[in-house]
Amino acid sequence: MKQIEISHLSFSYGQHGSKIILQDIDFQGSNNESIGLIGANGVGKSTLLKLMVGLELGYEGELKIEGTPVKKETLAEIRAKTGYVFQDSESQLFMPTVYEDVAFAPRNYGMKPEEVEKRTMKALTDTHIENLKDKHIYRLSGGEKKLVSIATILSMDPSIILLDEPSVALDPKNRRNLIHVLNELNGLKIIASHDLDFIYDTCERTILLGDGKIIKDGDTKEILTNQEMLESCGLELPLSLIRR
Amino acid sequence: MGKIEEAVHEIHHIDATAGEDKWLNQIHPLPKLLVTLGYIFIVVSFHKYNLSGLLSMCIYPMIIMILGDVSLKKAVKRMKYIILLLCFVGIANPFLDHKVLFYIGNIGVSGGIVSMVTVMLKGVLSVTASYLLIISTNIEKICYALSILHLPKAVVTVVMLIYRYSIVLLKEVQRINTAYSMRAPKQKGIHHRAWGSLVGQLLLRSMDRGQIVYESMTLRGYAGDFHMYGMKKITKEDVLYGAAWGIVFVFLRAVPVFELLGHLK
Repeated sequence: MKQIEISHLSFSYGQHGSKIILQDIDFQGSNNESIGLIGANGVGKSTLLKLMVGLELGYEGELKIEGTPVKKETLAEIRAKTGYVFQDSESQLFMPTVYEDVAFAPRNYGMKPEEVEKRTMKALTDTHIENLKDKHIYRLSGGEKKLVSIATILSMDPSIILLDEPSVALDPKNRRNLIHVLNELNGLKIIASHDLDFIYDTCERTILLGDGKIIKDGDTKEILTNQEMLESCGLELPLSLIRR
Repeated sequence: MGKIEEAVHEIHHIDATAGEDKWLNQIHPLPKLLVTLGYIFIVVSFHKYNLSGLLSMCIYPMIIMILGDVSLKKAVKRMKYIILLLCFVGIANPFLDHKVLFYIGNIGVSGGIVSMVTVMLKGVLSVTASYLLIISTNIEKICYALSILHLPKAVVTVVMLIYRYSIVLLKEVQRINTAYSMRAPKQKGIHHRAWGSLVGQLLLRSMDRGQIVYESMTLRGYAGDFHMYGMKKITKEDVLYGAAWGIVFVFLRAVPVFELLGHLK
């Protein structure tokens, strides 16, 4: 079964849908795939991710997560399967300590204390931040906050992980560490970013968005080396590919 | 560190202190909350001229500060603005109440002066008691105690969210203030002409960030209920703590200790 099925999806804001954000989006995602979602600013990458977790509703077309259509009535079910990491990790963290924040989801899903402990520790281990367990959120660096925000969703054991601009404001070391952590994670990952080098290092498949439509869906290397196509969508070749 | 940044830092520091492994922090939040509420109720109930009786109530914050290893200096520093504000409460009393109650040497002390001091002291003691509760009990535990008291779920949630929103709001104030001061280096404070737009910005931006926090909570299973985990059950020691302070407060309220001690001379 496909974990994400999107067909003829359109979405618009404003009165009577005056501002069209996404048009006729079609794609599917399977387990353990890592999909990069690229495009210039305002092209609808974040909106598409938000639609997948039901933070935005009122779309046209079909959007299914593990066979369940995303709608108001199914949000709890959808969100238990899908983890979403916001671009602004700082705002995403709201509990006093790292442990408390990572344990928030399993507790809210009514798990037993032993299960909460197990999942929380696994999420911290998977992101290599066990040492930050008792640290207060406000004392974390930007890179640590990003890893904690990933751990907060991993504790739900989601089968789909959505990341919005995960590499923003990370220094090279933290960026490299994040790439390493993401590459180790199982499940379907969809990463929205205009950091094309980051996409190159983490995704084998890429979807290029332009004017709210899918311009190209295919092999990452093939898309990221197509200078003409990237430039027509307001993007540039990744720096790492220029050097080669 | 700027003043706003310092305020945010202080809130986080208080949070961290409340999470420390101290005996005062280990006491169940319910007796601590009830003791604080009872203390404030009794302090407020003293007659406006009963200064000596009110002074005897200082024993609670003194003992808690000593046993709980709470720094008086830090407490005064953190509460200085509230204390200053409280000092203005009742400042008009000396002008309204001229009745002389007693003499110190040849100087008559009017009821207005006594009642002014009493009102100030009531405020300071109440705020100090609240501070001692906050410094030893984090917001989750206070909300847990409120939920045990069967306060409506909506009220408990609002208390918790207001606390979180206040931090978001302060951080946004800090960002706006920093951005403003970077472009107006010679100005002290924010020019009144910019107040309107900055307040509007602050509201919109803090609402945006509040929205992200809320979305992040709902994405992780939050459906209107804060689950209170890891909260210990109430023990005999906790009950004893609450009962002992209850008895002390009632005793101090009923018996004019300082006056009796004065008569012993």
